[in-house]
Amino acid sequence: MSTTTDTSSTQAGAAHGRPRSGGSDPGTGRRRRGGRDLLASLPWIGPALILIFGVVLFPAVVMFYNSTRDISISGIDHGSVGIDNYVEVFSFPYFWPIFARTIVWVVVVVAATVLISLGLAQILDKAFPGRRIVRLAVIIPWAASVVMTTLVVYYGLEPYFGIINKFLVDVGLVDTPEGYGWTRNPATAFAWSIVVAVFVSLPFTTYTILAGLATIPGDVREAAKMDGAGPVRTYVSVILPQLRGALSVAVLINIINVFNSLPILKVMTGSIPGYDADTIMTLIFKYIQNQHKVDVASALSVVAFVIVIVIVAVYVKVVKPMQEV
Amino acid sequence: MKKSLRFGAAIALAATASLTLASCGFGGGSGSDDESGGATTLDLLVPSYSDNTQGLWEDVITGFEKENPDIKVNLEVQSWDNLESVITTKIQGGEAPDIYNGGPFAGFAADGLLYPAEEVVSADTFSDFQDSFIANAEVDGTAYALPLIASARALFVNNALLEQAGVAAPPTTWDELLDAATKISALGGGIAGYGMPLGSEEAQAEAAVWLWGGGGTFGDATEITVDDPANLPGADQIKKMIDAGATQADPGSTDRSPLMDIFIQGKIGMQVGLPPTVGQIEENNPDLDYSIVPIPTEDGSPFTLGVMDQLMAFQNDGDKQDAITKFLDYYYTADVYVPWVQTEGFLPVTKSGAEALGGEEALAPFLEVLPDAQFYPSTNPKWSATDAAFKALFGQIQTKPSQEVLTEIQAQVDAG
Repeated sequence: MSTTTDTSSTQAGAAHGRPRSGGSDPGTGRRRRGGRDLLASLPWIGPALILIFGVVLFPAVVMFYNSTRDISISGIDHGSVGIDNYVEVFSFPYFWPIFARTIVWVVVVVAATVLISLGLAQILDKAFPGRRIVRLAVIIPWAASVVMTTLVVYYGLEPYFGIINKFLVDVGLVDTPEGYGWTRNPATAFAWSIVVAVFVSLPFTTYTILAGLATIPGDVREAAKMDGAGPVRTYVSVILPQLRGALSVAVLINIINVFNSLPILKVMTGSIPGYDADTIMTLIFKYIQNQHKVDVASALSVVAFVIVIVIVAVYVKVVKPMQEV
Repeated sequence: MKKSLRFGAAIALAATASLTLASCGFGGGSGSDDESGGATTLDLLVPSYSDNTQGLWEDVITGFEKENPDIKVNLEVQSWDNLESVITTKIQGGEAPDIYNGGPFAGFAADGLLYPAEEVVSADTFSDFQDSFIANAEVDGTAYALPLIASARALFVNNALLEQAGVAAPPTTWDELLDAATKISALGGGIAGYGMPLGSEEAQAEAAVWLWGGGGTFGDATEITVDDPANLPGADQIKKMIDAGATQADPGSTDRSPLMDIFIQGKIGMQVGLPPTVGQIEENNPDLDYSIVPIPTEDGSPFTLGVMDQLMAFQNDGDKQDAITKFLDYYYTADVYVPWVQTEGFLPVTKSGAEALGGEEALAPFLEVLPDAQFYPSTNPKWSATDAAFKALFGQIQTKPSQEVLTEIQAQVDAG
């Protein structure tokens, strides 16, 4: 690769008759040329590098730095405290339940999303009249902001005036006239949050799988039919293996996305006292918003960052999504 | 080749420049526009009390700028939800506002960020504040904040529901309250006897109403004492109310404002409210037959929770002190201040303001209980953490033993 670049650059230089100074020493000449190549490539990779440093690395470094400082309520830095903030994070009595709940949150939401999306994509892949409109309908939840979608559900579930509660009372499933406090109890609020999270994750996942389905050539299905495979057998043995690429992308991105999701849980479980419906993300939010402990919140963010990396690493190692079938 | 190289370099340069410029706000040295045209610019950060707030401040500023053409005032209005994170972010970025309207201030004072109150108002204005309010703004004998508004709580009673349930008179003690609320709840049809908001919005207020009403306290300027035996009777009474079904469902996670809306709809017998609640009822359900009575306590002795919000001035460059003083002096003159506080529906904190509003009928029940008001220990630097701990944890009293909840709150305060 580098040889190619070298030659081409030399050729270009020769063709344009660019003057070369100090060419007597071949060693320096080569170094100069390497430097010039780097300079020449800079305009192309430069913006990307600036973006990576400015948007990814710099905030990460600041986050890590803040996690070792003692920052007062009004945001003044009072010096280094070593790993005290991490000690506080791990010695928080609710940390491990919250950690476990975060894992449940990620696993349940991603699994449900993928299963439902597989079915939806299969339906949308079939040709039927009005398919375009149905496909559009599936993508619409994606166009609404997550907070908006969540608030609609949240107000629907409110006792006294929520429309979902009203419906449940009217059909006789809830027997208190003001409805049930779905978002007032940790377990039900968490369960409803999962429902909302699955709903808003569906469009992306469905379309990724749909794209995967579109790449499966028709003759493969035909061949399966010729060999006498039934629809179930065809799906499991022929179609699913070919969806591996699309599925692994969808799962990977959903894991990261769902793990880092704050707004749904913040809206649905925000007024619940204690820490019985929190995930790591909402705990970070509580540290910042309620307790103004930017330092401890940073430490927890670093922990969350590491957890995501570990989850993704394990996933990549076990599932090997990049491997060809 | 050469041309494209140069073009690329230009793009890279532009990208670098824009990123560098964008990150300027990070470093703290705010290149503010103080000296543009010789005018001093004051940044004013305030929370929104109601839909009127923005307009009221704009009127104040217009009047002030007319009198002081060399001073410009920038207004920023934030919601209460965001206010504290906005101010923290601004301080961290070195862009603290010059004047800030907020609640807890002892933390800022402890960090040495604030002007002492006496240095930013004239002696006349300073002596016009009610003494008890100024005392509540002192840290180690120096006032660091100027009282802005006061509010007191009182019990709003739905007369019609009380009558239906056969309760003769509004309750004055806890026993009577429990009895009345249980009877009203028994009416059925989704009606609750007592509206108890222990959710994260303002759990510390409802907690104070009960714990202090039983002789408890949250502490003082030097110590926070939530985990104190004196607080237990109040906490136990809350549990008694919940267990008897005298409250709405799930009080532990019900927020105050939505619950007040339900009271206004006429589905709650009694709930603790504020002066602005009167205006809300007027606007949304003027037919509601209600009365305002003092909050019932354990033994019926008078008590109310007083809340005071403050204005404070940040020491940014040190060269704006005069301008800040002029602005605050202007704001606290009775002609400007009284209409402001009246429109917001709160109680005045100045002697001249109290005189001017003394005959106001809607405020009468609150002005009446104000002498018995107890305040949060907001001069304690740990009050902010205490406030947060109450909001996050107190509602658990619905399911957990009260002693355990108090201990947990105290532990979080001590850790913060």
